[in-house]
Amino acid sequence: MSKESKDLAAKAQWDSKRVLSLVVNNALMIIMIIAAIAIAIVNPNFVSASSIVNIISQTAAYLPAALGIAGCIVLTGTDLSAGRAVGLTACISASLLQVAGSASKMWPNIGTLPIPVVILIAMAIGAVIGAFNGFFVGKFKLHPFIVTLGTQLILYTILLLYVKMGNNGGMAISNLDESYNSFVKGSILPKIAGQTIPNYVIFAILLTALMWFIWNKTTFGKNMFALGSNEEAARVSGVNVLMTTIMVFSLAGAMYGFTGFIEGARIGSNTANTGLNYELDAIAACVIGGVSFVGGIGKISGIVIGVLMLRLIFIGLTMANINQDLQYLIKGGIILFACALDMRKYLVKK
Amino acid sequence: MKLKKVLALVLALAMVLALAACGGDDKKPDGDQPSNGSQTGEPSTPSEPSEPSGSGADVSSLNVGVFYYNYSDVYISTVRAELDKQLDSLGVKYTDYDGNTTQSTQMDQVNTAITNGANLLIVNIVENSSPDAAQNVINAAKEKDIPVIFFNRDFDKSAINSYEKCAFVGTDPAEAGHMQGKMIADYLLANYEATDLNGDGAISYVMFKGQEGNVEAEYRTQFSVEDANTQLTGAGKKELTYYAGDSAATKYLVDPNGAWSSAAATNYMDTVLAEYSEGNNNMVELVICNNDDMAMGAISSLQTAGYNNGSGKTIPVFGVDAVQNAKDAIAAGSMTGTVAQDAVGMASSIVKLLNNFVADGNLMSNTDGMVVDGDSAKIRVPYAAYLG
Amino acid sequence: MEQPALLEMRHISKEFPGVKALDDVSLTVRPGTVHALMGENGAGKSTLMKCLFGIYHKDGGEIVLDGKPVDFRSSKEALENGVAMVHQELNQALTRSVQDNLWLGRYPTVAGGLMVSEKIMSRRTQEIFRELEVTVDPKAIMSTMPVSQRQMVEIAKAVSYDSKIIVFDEPTSSLTETEVEHLFRIINMLRDRGCGIIYISHKMEEILRISDDVTIMRDGQWVATRPAAELTMDEIIRLMVGRELTSRFPPKSNKQGDVILEVQGMSGRYTRLKEASFQLRKGEILGIAGLDGSGRTEVLENLFGVMTREGGSIKLHGAQIENRTPREAIKNGFALLTEERRATGIFGIRNIRENTVISNLKSYLMGGICLSDKKMKEDTDWSIQAMRIKTPSQSTEIRSLSGGNQQKVIIGRWLLTKPEILLLDEPTRGIDVGAKYEIYQLIINLANEGKGIIMVSSEMPELLGVCDRILVMSGGRLAGEVNAAETSQEEILTLAAKYV
Repeated sequence: MSKESKDLAAKAQWDSKRVLSLVVNNALMIIMIIAAIAIAIVNPNFVSASSIVNIISQTAAYLPAALGIAGCIVLTGTDLSAGRAVGLTACISASLLQVAGSASKMWPNIGTLPIPVVILIAMAIGAVIGAFNGFFVGKFKLHPFIVTLGTQLILYTILLLYVKMGNNGGMAISNLDESYNSFVKGSILPKIAGQTIPNYVIFAILLTALMWFIWNKTTFGKNMFALGSNEEAARVSGVNVLMTTIMVFSLAGAMYGFTGFIEGARIGSNTANTGLNYELDAIAACVIGGVSFVGGIGKISGIVIGVLMLRLIFIGLTMANINQDLQYLIKGGIILFACALDMRKYLVKK
Repeated sequence: MKLKKVLALVLALAMVLALAACGGDDKKPDGDQPSNGSQTGEPSTPSEPSEPSGSGADVSSLNVGVFYYNYSDVYISTVRAELDKQLDSLGVKYTDYDGNTTQSTQMDQVNTAITNGANLLIVNIVENSSPDAAQNVINAAKEKDIPVIFFNRDFDKSAINSYEKCAFVGTDPAEAGHMQGKMIADYLLANYEATDLNGDGAISYVMFKGQEGNVEAEYRTQFSVEDANTQLTGAGKKELTYYAGDSAATKYLVDPNGAWSSAAATNYMDTVLAEYSEGNNNMVELVICNNDDMAMGAISSLQTAGYNNGSGKTIPVFGVDAVQNAKDAIAAGSMTGTVAQDAVGMASSIVKLLNNFVADGNLMSNTDGMVVDGDSAKIRVPYAAYLG
Repeated sequence: MEQPALLEMRHISKEFPGVKALDDVSLTVRPGTVHALMGENGAGKSTLMKCLFGIYHKDGGEIVLDGKPVDFRSSKEALENGVAMVHQELNQALTRSVQDNLWLGRYPTVAGGLMVSEKIMSRRTQEIFRELEVTVDPKAIMSTMPVSQRQMVEIAKAVSYDSKIIVFDEPTSSLTETEVEHLFRIINMLRDRGCGIIYISHKMEEILRISDDVTIMRDGQWVATRPAAELTMDEIIRLMVGRELTSRFPPKSNKQGDVILEVQGMSGRYTRLKEASFQLRKGEILGIAGLDGSGRTEVLENLFGVMTREGGSIKLHGAQIENRTPREAIKNGFALLTEERRATGIFGIRNIRENTVISNLKSYLMGGICLSDKKMKEDTDWSIQAMRIKTPSQSTEIRSLSGGNQQKVIIGRWLLTKPEILLLDEPTRGIDVGAKYEIYQLIINLANEGKGIIMVSSEMPELLGVCDRILVMSGGRLAGEVNAAETSQEEILTLAAKYV
């Protein structure tokens, strides 16, 4: 073989290799696009303006919790208490923002509080729950799985007790004040293509931007990644490991609190069941989006894609009129596939 | 270092306070009794005696275990609050258990309670798609000759008939579906033109099912539509049409977590409304839900889309349970109807059987004024349509 | 001329449960000098440094830095007060970039501390790299870089703190010769600036070359502090070991037999090994020399089935074998002692017995189901005796042993599988002088018993002292083969540079 043809062969091989690696590295995106096209063929309404707004809205509703939990995963941890934290803060938010004077108002003596106050309360409660988790993880070196499993159970009791407090007696908390409903579900944006975009989409965008800034531009964010990548290195470099851990979990908790505040109005009826299994969806979204359990790896954009992907599965199956039972199979398959792809990058062939 | 200690203290304090605050509330008359703690015989609220004990026998010798399938179920919470109240005023010693939707957990709790000296079981069985789980409970009770009163979640009569000291208090699972169907048909026949938004002569509906394989969910899903159709065709109208057409894989949307939750209904309804709207001339014209919580979730979604705000256009939404916020919604005009499950009646019937047992050792000795199945010891607390 | 001391550690003591790790140790570092700290593994060098650096809290004694008594409670405090350390084990956030690692714990911020400035970070990184002549991309992700470059980043990081005292704990263990020279230039520069350098190393040639003063420790105690100029290698060894070591290598007594292994044209599919061919005789110790990354380890791992082979043939006693996986290789009578003992050799938190029997479990099965405790115990006892492992008991966690003893446990593990061919990758890495001698003796004894041994080492004197023949690798290829008795370090180095 002449030198030139060798070079050519080498180049061609490099090209096909490159295409392959491009396909593999973006496999999830490609699958997502193919799936979206397939669903759109079965049901053209899938790509209608209203459907797209619905997809975006549902993504926005689930995004904050996923953004929070992602930090815990970056620290090679997880947070099983997310769902219950969402439930508790949703119930508390709703109970503080019921229509004044209605018979079923949970706290008849407390008027309808100003919305910013309730947001702060919800996020503060979430942050305290997170700090509690972070403290046990950082101080006693317990695995977050264990800590948050414990917290999750504790929170459930608090939640069960809370919904029975005041005038409520275990009932669903609804009858929400109009200010609350319109703050969350109303729209300050002009209609786009005849579609209203609910405010919680804007909040989700703002939170995403804030989280991107925190992750990439602040000392805390960089410390978080360093800690997730190599705790010992962070320690000997003078990073306050305990405080960083507490703050990561705390920030996650504040995100659950915000999700709770949004869900309280979005769902409109809050019970001890609210928030059930939210953490699993959030963890799944992160994992699909490339936030690795190896630690120290993850991107905000990945999380957005992960949440979007899960909502596409849910909405796509509903709209394509496919048997609902398949949803779990597809979800499970995507999670395994995404993680296998992810780990591929770290497997060094020998 | 100091900071850490302070932080630890604050965290610990916060938890304790939170728990104390929650616990403290239980003392209030309107509140409930603590969940898992044993209760002593003293009536806690003498001001509200609900069920006079009636018999002179010794209720204080009773040690009752009450097993709920899931504390977070709103309707069950109402029954629990009522039952706790009635048992308290009777002076019965009892313990509540949360099965947390897991049959194996509940079975462990039953066995633990029996070894702990429980001599009467009140069981809200978790798994009721087959009578096996109930049969296991019965067998465990039979061994110690302990009576069992099942309630709420129905199962095949074979299990009930296998043990004489055993009875069931519940509703007729089909009845809620039948009642919902009638309520829907009645409403539609009265408001047909207004409901039929696109004027195609047929009403399109969406159905929210709480869970797969649950007897109540299955019957409600089936009979509400079947009965409404019978009545509608009888009156010369078209049958209800499923919003997604006849080709849909199932004619209902089911909560992915099987939790009958409002969140699932909201997400589904948002998705449905993204595709079906008045603008597209295919708006969903009727929403049927297996329970009120899902109805509330669907209403939340409808409200976001500009419907069911009390004024303006309202899509009729029907639920089951008549929990407080559903009643409020009906009063406010955002919901149309629900089927009342009588929580007080359920609790009273259970207590009545308990009193029967105390009086003469036979659960079913006095069933005056109760609807009893002909072929088994099953008591049916009637449903009632609730339209506000 | 007596300069005031820059750092004085006086009468430091530190106790761990059951062990007196440091007993009244003193160390004085003058500004503008390199102070070498020597001692066998477990002598307390690292413990002493960790006490200085705030990772451990000393039980007694005092530390005076620049005339002021100090007692750091954390690494952060130490760094802020001008004490930096290059740790023996690379502690780096591998998923992050070079500059993120460099500035970890002290990111330059703007906007009132709210925002990390990538610009300032990148500029300062480049400044430091330029000053130290380090050619590393500041934006590169750590995990994509070779260990030696990561080591240079770690060194640059320590220097970047502008510290008065810099501790180097075994900095050259993964550096090539050129990189070592580079490091020495950096150290000389720091010395000229007036810094005090504490230099920990096992490599005596390095110590004698770079250091001004040498402090020697043994068993947690101070033994001696002398000017380096007054010391010889033998003297240092004597002080470290506490007895005369007449020779660094035991006499070679092994006899070679017939050829047992024949490798023809072995190449790696994903690794850089190309067309290696060689033979191994019964009772022979075959060394493999070469620079870091020259393909030494690849020879062993391709042979053992850890890496995928692209081509070539392996013949054992004239019969073709494949060795596609380690399992297959073990079945064929091979055993591999891996390079990174901690990562791929020991099961740290498990005890000595479990570490000993793990490769040989099948032979302890009774009736195919239950493992015989008695047999395992006997074999472990045999290993402890035959290898002269110093341990309180079989149930001691292996991580609590010294490196040399850990290595002996692993050699014992492999001997239980009755191997015919032993592949040893850096068998004496991180092991102190006294224990090295014992490992050499063990290797020669094994050859005497008729085993074929292939041994990879980056320490040339060791290869020359122990091996019969030495293969020299260069750039993934076999550059040559020399007779250990006749060759010189220069000849090997020339060969090693052949395909670079």
